[in-house]
Amino acid sequence: MSITFKNVDFIYSPDTPFSYHALKGVDLDIPEGSFTALIGHTGSGKSTLIQHINALLLPSSGEVRVDDFIITATDKPSVLKPLRQKAGLVFQFPEYQLFEETIARDIMFGPVNFGMPEDEARAVAAKTLEMVGLNDTYMERSPFEISGGQKRRVAIAGILAMDPDILVLDEPTAGLDPQGAKEMLRLFKSLQKSGKTIIMVSHDMNQVLEYCDHVVVMNKGRIERNCSIDELFKEKDYLSSLSIDLPVITAFINDLNSQGFHLDHDIKDIETLVKAIGGELHE
Amino acid sequence: MNSMVFGRYLPVDSFVHRLDPRLKIGALLALLITVFFDAGFLGYALIGLFVVVALILTKIPAKMVVQAVKPMLIMLLFLSVFNLIFLHTGKLVAKVGPLSIYSGAIFQTIYISIRLVLIVSLTTILTASTKPLDMTLGLEHLLSPLKVIKFPVHEVAMMISIALRFIPTLVEEAQRIMKAQASRGVDFNEGTFKEKVFAIVSLIIPLFISAFQKADDLANAMESRNYNPEARRTRYHQLHWRLADSFVLGLIVLLCGTIIVMSIVL
Repeated sequence: MSITFKNVDFIYSPDTPFSYHALKGVDLDIPEGSFTALIGHTGSGKSTLIQHINALLLPSSGEVRVDDFIITATDKPSVLKPLRQKAGLVFQFPEYQLFEETIARDIMFGPVNFGMPEDEARAVAAKTLEMVGLNDTYMERSPFEISGGQKRRVAIAGILAMDPDILVLDEPTAGLDPQGAKEMLRLFKSLQKSGKTIIMVSHDMNQVLEYCDHVVVMNKGRIERNCSIDELFKEKDYLSSLSIDLPVITAFINDLNSQGFHLDHDIKDIETLVKAIGGELHE
Repeated sequence: MNSMVFGRYLPVDSFVHRLDPRLKIGALLALLITVFFDAGFLGYALIGLFVVVALILTKIPAKMVVQAVKPMLIMLLFLSVFNLIFLHTGKLVAKVGPLSIYSGAIFQTIYISIRLVLIVSLTTILTASTKPLDMTLGLEHLLSPLKVIKFPVHEVAMMISIALRFIPTLVEEAQRIMKAQASRGVDFNEGTFKEKVFAIVSLIIPLFISAFQKADDLANAMESRNYNPEARRTRYHQLHWRLADSFVLGLIVLLCGTIIVMSIVL
């Protein structure tokens, strides 16, 4: 499932006093099977960009290709419905989309809409509920009586149940406790390992460093960087010009190296870093 | 959002935007009443001219006016058909099968159409040129004499301003939920009746929950700030009556007066 943007422009409310040019000449390739981070300031066009991937928004000009689907300005939404199943989009604070009487029925909602028989969908719901870390005692409970973090899990399960090849997540861990966030990110990582392409909007560079392998930087509706994360975090000046902080680990390595260490920039976790520091001190 | 033109504020700076909201609300009320006085085509031409000048002065694009009037077309069509069939005054003009069309009916239909278009245009001028909060402030001022008879003017104004403030928020929320459900395979445009009902349910329930949640949050926020509707408060934002306001007020009194006199004399 490859994703390609070719010279895509998007304008909200064109030809009105409220018109807003949100995407400007976006050219983008998102590698298949990658865990891509999408970063940039509020209003940089991230949310607009991801809504093109499952054709919720159609480009004002240019084209978006997702696998065999070609999305252009003139496409009819009905033609693109099968795409919504292939590219699952999890909005920010997805817990607001819950509406069914029971958690099971809410998770089944997506698969059933795409034509899965009810009993099969129920089995899928049980499986995905377990994937997001809730046991099957939750199946028949109301989605409105559980905690905010659990609601988030149920909402994400609702998208995972559609078994999309591409999973697009808009700040999936915003407002979650650190432990819950970690579990979520590990789940996405394992989904990537099973062959899915993951695209995640994030403001937390520590998450980006630890879980993502590819990164796209947006600024004022344009793509400014599309590279591996190792390359991005080498560009200290560029990141500070966007007032994006380096990940704690990378910043620490930089500090140590400026004091005479020769540590590898690409270290991503504490254990490796500790070993590397230990190794140098030993010499 | 694109289709929601009626009642939307147009963020530009214009002569009409700068007018006092009290004047604009009062003028709208006076003009709406005047529109229903039958002063013949000359009277409507006068009001029409005034409306066109006001639209230009408000810098409302013609397209926006057309979009605001558009939803009225169905109602207009409905009214016209009924009028033409059932109103039997004036001279018989045409006979189509069992239907007889009278001149009175034709005139009545044209009047109603003109009135509707004028009403929509006038209201659009007010809402496009006045920020919702200015509008409530103006309303509060205009209603303040009612305080004498213990009418809760401030509370009503507060309720209206909160309601107005939440319209765009709820519209945004509705769009967000629609997109989220569309991502789960809901089709809001096509499908059988049952599917459509289900699609609407998947929108309405989360919307209600979020609206109640927001109302609850707001109530808590107000209480934690010790909000008391009876407290005497000063305002940061003051209304200022200027010379231009007096001028426009005079003009509107003149216009309404002329039309009413015309309707009585003619």
